[in-house]
Amino acid sequence: MSVSHLIEQVDDYRWRIPRVKGTGMLTDVRVYASRPILEKVVTDRSLDQAANVACLPGIVGSSLAMPDIHQGYGFPIGGVAAVDCASGVVSPGGVGFDINCGVRLLGSSLCRDEVRTRLKDLVNQIFRDVPCGTGGAGYIKISQKELDDVLVDGARWMVRHGYGETNDWEYAEARGALPGADPDKVSPRAKERGRPQIGTLGSGNHFLEIQYVQRVDDEEAAKTFGLYQGQVVVLIHSGSRGLGHQVCTDFLRDMGPAMRKYGIELPDRQLACVPVTSDEGQSYLAAMRGAANFAWANRQGMTHFVRQAFRRIFSNDAHLKVIYDVCHNIAKQERYEVAGKTQDVLVHRKGATRAFPPGHPEVTPSYQQVGQPVFIPGSMGTASWVLAGRSGSVDETFGTCCHGAGRLLSRTAAKKGRDLKRVIKDLEREGILIRSGSKRGILEEVPEAYKDVDEVIEVVHNAGLAKKVARLRPMGVIKG
Amino acid sequence: MAEYEILEHTADIGLRAWGPSPGELFRNAARAMMAIATEPETLSGIEERQLETRGADYSDLMVNWLSEVLYLFDTNQFAARDFRVDYIAADRLRATLIGEPREPERHAWELIIKAVTYHQLKVEQQNGRWKAEVFLDI
Repeated sequence: MSVSHLIEQVDDYRWRIPRVKGTGMLTDVRVYASRPILEKVVTDRSLDQAANVACLPGIVGSSLAMPDIHQGYGFPIGGVAAVDCASGVVSPGGVGFDINCGVRLLGSSLCRDEVRTRLKDLVNQIFRDVPCGTGGAGYIKISQKELDDVLVDGARWMVRHGYGETNDWEYAEARGALPGADPDKVSPRAKERGRPQIGTLGSGNHFLEIQYVQRVDDEEAAKTFGLYQGQVVVLIHSGSRGLGHQVCTDFLRDMGPAMRKYGIELPDRQLACVPVTSDEGQSYLAAMRGAANFAWANRQGMTHFVRQAFRRIFSNDAHLKVIYDVCHNIAKQERYEVAGKTQDVLVHRKGATRAFPPGHPEVTPSYQQVGQPVFIPGSMGTASWVLAGRSGSVDETFGTCCHGAGRLLSRTAAKKGRDLKRVIKDLEREGILIRSGSKRGILEEVPEAYKDVDEVIEVVHNAGLAKKVARLRPMGVIKG
Repeated sequence: MAEYEILEHTADIGLRAWGPSPGELFRNAARAMMAIATEPETLSGIEERQLETRGADYSDLMVNWLSEVLYLFDTNQFAARDFRVDYIAADRLRATLIGEPREPERHAWELIIKAVTYHQLKVEQQNGRWKAEVFLDI
């Protein structure tokens, strides 16, 4: 359905597409955007996709669109939908192929000037130690039995087996492992794809960046998170690799017949869904949690290798602390007040990040006063942001804010007229070194391919979903 | 006449393939996918591998077929440079993959394909010619 022409302005940062009768929409669409962002959003089909999401049986509240929204498959990327746990549906497409794709931030004990002089060595070392997985396996060898344990224990398993420091996993959403994972629901194929890939980055928009804290916007929150101006940090953006992709593939394949069984009809097969309480729904959720735990283990493995690389270049003086780890492709059971009533909902976050406010019981104890850290990676060579969740997220968006800058150009358009050497030189002039497994990896991810991340952040900050804490600038980029 | 082309999508990538018959269509779609995934010209055709897959209809069969080829590549079992469809009906396909066992260091991913999607999926017959459109998640 085409709905962009129906959009109404609510205020400077909120827009609404009312429910259109006779289309299957069960609720309205709420969009978080400034006017300039909205003008870009309406150029693709992402709002139509948000309207399709409004058709999901059991949806609670509005179908939500974050300011980084862009066209995806079925669900828009930057889309959020909460469904009633008792009467609603779970949609594997609403989580995506890259289950628990997410971002981890490590704070170092080094400042920008200390790293700058050895940057090339450091980037090369990390490029060697953290494989992107385009040609060969990772360095972490685990047996099939061990993989089953990883699917249950996530980052904790990795720490227990020497890939991390004692408390690393406490600084992660769900403390690095969602309960309720069942390795038996993850197919042998998914395990076969994922097992050799643990501890690898992947390609596409996944990356690992050495960055520095360029500016602190909120001193108290930054101090609480252990961040200060000029400090070097490492941002890891990766997911559940082939294991998660196969889990989604497997369940999407089986959901066609299952949907017919439950009499569910939707405008796009990629939105395929089944009742949360059905056997198929429960199996998917148990497998999805396993894949999510694999992703936390994956980012934990890479953390270990990044630490090793830092130590090799800077001796044992270099310490890296996990600041936090957030996921932006997931479905999670959470409890909210909706229209004065307490309700258990399954929140689908497809390219959207949980952003819990101060005092929320799920926030890590040491961050209780300031709220959950949220990391928003920008495009290659621009900026990334550290935010902290605010109460607006719980009041309005099922505890959620944006996840990135949001893509603007297709890969072909991004490459058009661009020369690899020139792109690398331009980045070097800005003080940014890049190493990539492929030429495409650089050309297709040029900063011009994305919306301006600062504009996106402005929206979630002013809408009260999260607040600005610090702006990060890249120094070294490692890409698949 | 063109056998396939690569399609634009904001965040990902797609393929459009043609063929005089369903068998040729499925062959060309798989060739297009492998051209995105790797450099098929670096692969030899010294080995063959049989594959059988099913689906509810041609569209469903296309997703399952491409997913099979992708799975074999990602798990280093087989890197195919060409395909021969030995039998095809709307719900079933039997094919021969021509290529070699994948050695990941030599046969690297050019672009890691995560999965084959159902998004705007099309398999249709137009003026006696078969055409497919498939989007891939990368």
